Amino acid sequence: MRVISLFLAALLSVALGIGGMLLSSHGAQAQQAAAGSSTSTPEAGHSPSSGLSQSDIAKMLPATDMGANAARQNNPHLPPINDSAATPFDAAPIPANPLAPNADAIGAKTCVACHAQENMQASHSLHVASFRAGAANSGPQAACESCHGPGSEHAKNPTAPGSIIAFTHDAKTPPQVQAGVCLSCHAGGARQHWIGSIHQNRGLSCTDCHNPMARLSPEGVLAKSSINEVCATCHQDIRAKFNRRSHMPLPEGQMACTDCHNPHGSITKPLLKTDTVNETCYTCHAEKRGPFLFEHAPVRANCLNCHDVHGSNQQTLLVAPIPMLCQQCHTMTLHPNDLQTPAGLGNGPHPDERLIGRGCLTCHSNIHGSNNPSGPKFHK
Amino acid sequence: MLALTGNRTTPTALALGLLLGLFGTPDALAGDTSGTMRVGDMQFGNALDLRGWTPMLHPADPDGMSYLHAGMLRTPTGALYPYPPMVDAGTPMGQGDWTYDGVLEFGYLHIGGDRNAEYFRQYADWRSGAVLGLFALNFNNRKTGAYVEFRGSHLSGDDQFYRLRGGRYGSYRIEAFYRDMPHTVSTNAYPIWNGVGTTDLTLPAPLVAGASTPAQVAAASAAAPRRTIGLTRTREGLSYEGVLYRNWIGSAAITNEKRTGTRLWGGSMFFNYPFPDDGGILETVRPIDFRTTDINLSVRNVGKLWHFLATYNGSFFRNHKDHLNFESPFALHNVAGAPQVADIKDGQFSLEPDNDYHNVRLDLSRELKWNGQFTVAGAWGTMRQNDALLPPTTCTGTGGIYIAPTADYTFQCANWNTTAALSQRSANARIDTGLLDARVTFQPTPAFGWHAGLRWYREDNKTRYLAYNPLTGQYGYISENGSQGSVVPGETGIFDPTNPLYWSSDVAIHNVPFGYTDSIFELGSDWQFGRKTSLGVTYTYDHNQPKYRERKRVDEQRIKFDWVSRDVIGATVRLSWEFARRDGDKYNYDPYEQFFSESLPGFVDPATGLPAYTVADMRKYDLSDRTESKARAIVTYPWGESATLSATFYGNRDQYDALIGRQNTSTTGTTLQWDWQPTPATTMNAYLGAESSRMGISNVNDADGPDNGAIFGTPGQTNPNLGGPLYPYANQWWEFDRESNRNAGLSFSHDFGRARADISYNYTGSSGHVGYNYATIGALAYRDPAGVAAANAGFPDNTYRTNTLDLGLSFRVNRNVGVRLYGRYETGAFSDWHYAGLDNTLSYDHRLYTDKGGQLHYSVSLVGIMLNLKL
Repeated sequence: MRVISLFLAALLSVALGIGGMLLSSHGAQAQQAAAGSSTSTPEAGHSPSSGLSQSDIAKMLPATDMGANAARQNNPHLPPINDSAATPFDAAPIPANPLAPNADAIGAKTCVACHAQENMQASHSLHVASFRAGAANSGPQAACESCHGPGSEHAKNPTAPGSIIAFTHDAKTPPQVQAGVCLSCHAGGARQHWIGSIHQNRGLSCTDCHNPMARLSPEGVLAKSSINEVCATCHQDIRAKFNRRSHMPLPEGQMACTDCHNPHGSITKPLLKTDTVNETCYTCHAEKRGPFLFEHAPVRANCLNCHDVHGSNQQTLLVAPIPMLCQQCHTMTLHPNDLQTPAGLGNGPHPDERLIGRGCLTCHSNIHGSNNPSGPKFHK
Repeated sequence: MLALTGNRTTPTALALGLLLGLFGTPDALAGDTSGTMRVGDMQFGNALDLRGWTPMLHPADPDGMSYLHAGMLRTPTGALYPYPPMVDAGTPMGQGDWTYDGVLEFGYLHIGGDRNAEYFRQYADWRSGAVLGLFALNFNNRKTGAYVEFRGSHLSGDDQFYRLRGGRYGSYRIEAFYRDMPHTVSTNAYPIWNGVGTTDLTLPAPLVAGASTPAQVAAASAAAPRRTIGLTRTREGLSYEGVLYRNWIGSAAITNEKRTGTRLWGGSMFFNYPFPDDGGILETVRPIDFRTTDINLSVRNVGKLWHFLATYNGSFFRNHKDHLNFESPFALHNVAGAPQVADIKDGQFSLEPDNDYHNVRLDLSRELKWNGQFTVAGAWGTMRQNDALLPPTTCTGTGGIYIAPTADYTFQCANWNTTAALSQRSANARIDTGLLDARVTFQPTPAFGWHAGLRWYREDNKTRYLAYNPLTGQYGYISENGSQGSVVPGETGIFDPTNPLYWSSDVAIHNVPFGYTDSIFELGSDWQFGRKTSLGVTYTYDHNQPKYRERKRVDEQRIKFDWVSRDVIGATVRLSWEFARRDGDKYNYDPYEQFFSESLPGFVDPATGLPAYTVADMRKYDLSDRTESKARAIVTYPWGESATLSATFYGNRDQYDALIGRQNTSTTGTTLQWDWQPTPATTMNAYLGAESSRMGISNVNDADGPDNGAIFGTPGQTNPNLGGPLYPYANQWWEFDRESNRNAGLSFSHDFGRARADISYNYTGSSGHVGYNYATIGALAYRDPAGVAAANAGFPDNTYRTNTLDLGLSFRVNRNVGVRLYGRYETGAFSDWHYAGLDNTLSYDHRLYTDKGGQLHYSVSLVGIMLNLKL
């Protein structure tokens, strides 16, 4: 019955996926085409529909720099922009703001008239600095609005929620729209599995972890000063586990959560960078990969069967003290199934090798697998 | 394509060629880097500077982030962004577009107190002396986006990193790094052997292998000098990422890690606990001499509709010390009382074999209508090793026990101490993996979305090994270096269908090629209620088919609810609750008959029958029926304009349907954090955390003596059932591990203008208690009055506790010069009953230990003065 249900579920999933793909291919292309047209720059001839004309803005605010290209063209000291190779930043689209569909791009100069401090900070952040460097050949007109969307509605009524794409707590812009703006440039690669990832499903926005408006971290455009501090914003309990007796060197500054996890999404539930838990572990602990002549079933199946990778109060990240850890499964006849008590401790009346020091591992040392012909019980 | 020629060849040259071949590509599109796709090396720091770039962080800008509003904005979730730093535009280099900036921090550290405390220096090579806190130098071209960055730090030769990056934003990036990462395993070790760190541990005079008394061994142990056991990882890496052609972006990376040092290990020459003045239990020290080379290649194309990603990951592990020989000081005696003919005194381990790993993966995504996306990922991988096998034993002469001509349990070592005794000379081990993962996601309206996924993963173990000795025609192996068969007649590890002494020996004759196929189906839906609230429901069906395990099928069904609201009295609340139930087909408590000699022709059951292998009512916890529930709440509450209160509440409950085995686990915890940043000059943070957990198991002592049933080998002991003659109810016992963890932290920093003070305090306290119940004293390992009295007393609690106070005072002498005074005071306490008594002696009869365990109490002070120069 279960096999049948699985088969039906699989069939349904594949059918839905393929069906959706076929049915929507034309529509998606149309959407993209529409998106492409909606993100064209004002030079493309889009006429203002907000009621706020360029002249209105000119009266209220400093002149825009939307004509920067023209100014460049007329400046004999600057290379003609048409001779320069287009950079990715030139192609950065101005995203449509669903909450202000009629807004028009007005140019960074207008934005900076009010947001001078933001401009100063952002100009020295990695994100905007690189953006400006990359777009140096074609003028800075798209800088602010490439992320925040067309600004005319916001300029007209700066306090109106949603008039600009915003990325902060009080923003009316939904997280999905926020993420969509970032992904319009940063799609694919490490973010190929963002859609459907747990961070996406839990309503996180890129700016929960990143802040491209200031140089809060020398790398990574992070929202705090380091990767681990960012992750600990929500995962406080996991960060605390790293303070336990045995841990990986994250509290010592030599590891980041992102050494193992891809917070941008992956094909595994815990956002691992590889296909399985064990493959992630083997990346640093390659000696455990084997394969060995004699394998230990729970070891090969999943390292987490015995280890708590985020921290443990036992030796070597074990989930329980030895021999209790082993005695969960090893009920075999003779020595494994005795109840060990303080009688067997080093200071007890019957010191017992099954309890002292490394306990079971003193004899079964090759517990991760043995490559010795006499090693089926991992003694060798 | 990256195959190795021989076991020792590294593919460095080939990879470098690939890297170099990619250099010089034209500038065009490069979204950003693939760092979060590769495991490791995302963080370069050390214990002095956890971030690895703290001196590069400038003081906060007193003007904040905006002239339009006071204070700082918050993340979408509600956490405050830190105040931005004062801007440093860099120093122009001549008349060009390049600028540079940098920092050099160096000084002197002094470590006082218990500087060798194990848990103080677990991953930090603290030493008194001059240190380079940080040297960072950055060059930027504001016009072209070209940059070169260097960062380096050096606390000691084993605790340092250097990294050089260069490239051009939006075009390419090259990175090279070198780093050392220390790992101290023990600072309280007293190995007696000569040759620690090598593959041969020999006994020092006057100890004689196989002929020393416990008193002589104890004296040698007491005289052994204290040593530190640990290792250092030294990693080098080189990577490139950039545009290959138009929208095609490629990356290539090679890392090479050398891991050298020692770790605590074991050494078994058979039990001592049942046989006073016999056997040999040794805690030895093994060498670590690994080299691992990893190669990562990727190419991707990100189009309007299609996203394509192809990756290759190769890993090549080489162990330059693939075995450990050790001498055992203890003499063995046979329990038959016959004169000892065996001279078993040498032991040997095979250490980890070299291995190669290849993995190729393709990911393809397509945008769909209704805000949809279809993604499919397929991967194939293989893990292989073909190391030469060692002989079954290293003994010489005769092993085993001679009682009488008709009870001759001896074996000739010459028949087993060469590789001619093997059915194959090399391991020829291989595991192949396959993966297919398909997902489809649709969000047709802002208020509704659904997704479905199917994952299939297989691990196919192709290793086949038969333990057969062509020299003797016997099956099996030599157990515990020949010691077991030299103490107990017939327990050599050999099966011989032609010899009545061995034709009832049930020994392992095959490897078990464990593997599994896992299929997961997922279907989920999300609803948005208003602008700030959403609900998600996901159903997951996991169908696992293990090979050669107690179950052929394990199914788990799981349903998970997620609720997110961004406006619960102003707070963002994320709740999740999931419930899962696992079951499967019939549980076969002993699926391993085919891998033991009992499956071979000529096997003769013992007169009293073959005793049960294990109790039939045991359920291994990764396969047993299980009911699981998990809940988690994450709350982020913006508290006024300048503070954030965040809390986490979590818990899980697992019930295993097992009379014997793991029965339940539970965890309950909470964290509470308060962050306050009233001005750019002041920040404060307080943190509290508490977690308790419990795990319960049950087991049953077999009737191994007349005082708890019947002696082993008694008729009726073929019955595997709980309550039967071999596993009577009277011998059942229950054990639980209960742990309690407490954490607290407080940090404060204030900028007074030319001076800045940083104070932080952190506390970690853990307590673990192992308790137990038993039906009768028949469950106990020791049933004499002293043993029962000790059992009644119970285990002492295990503790681990640290208090750390950090003080920092930074002065700005002028715009380019600063001085930082730094101090840390740390105390710690540790107790673990595994090490009880070892501080008095490491030698107990025929047992010899090396590690006394972590220091029971320690206190360490660390002071330093650092000069900070802005370059």
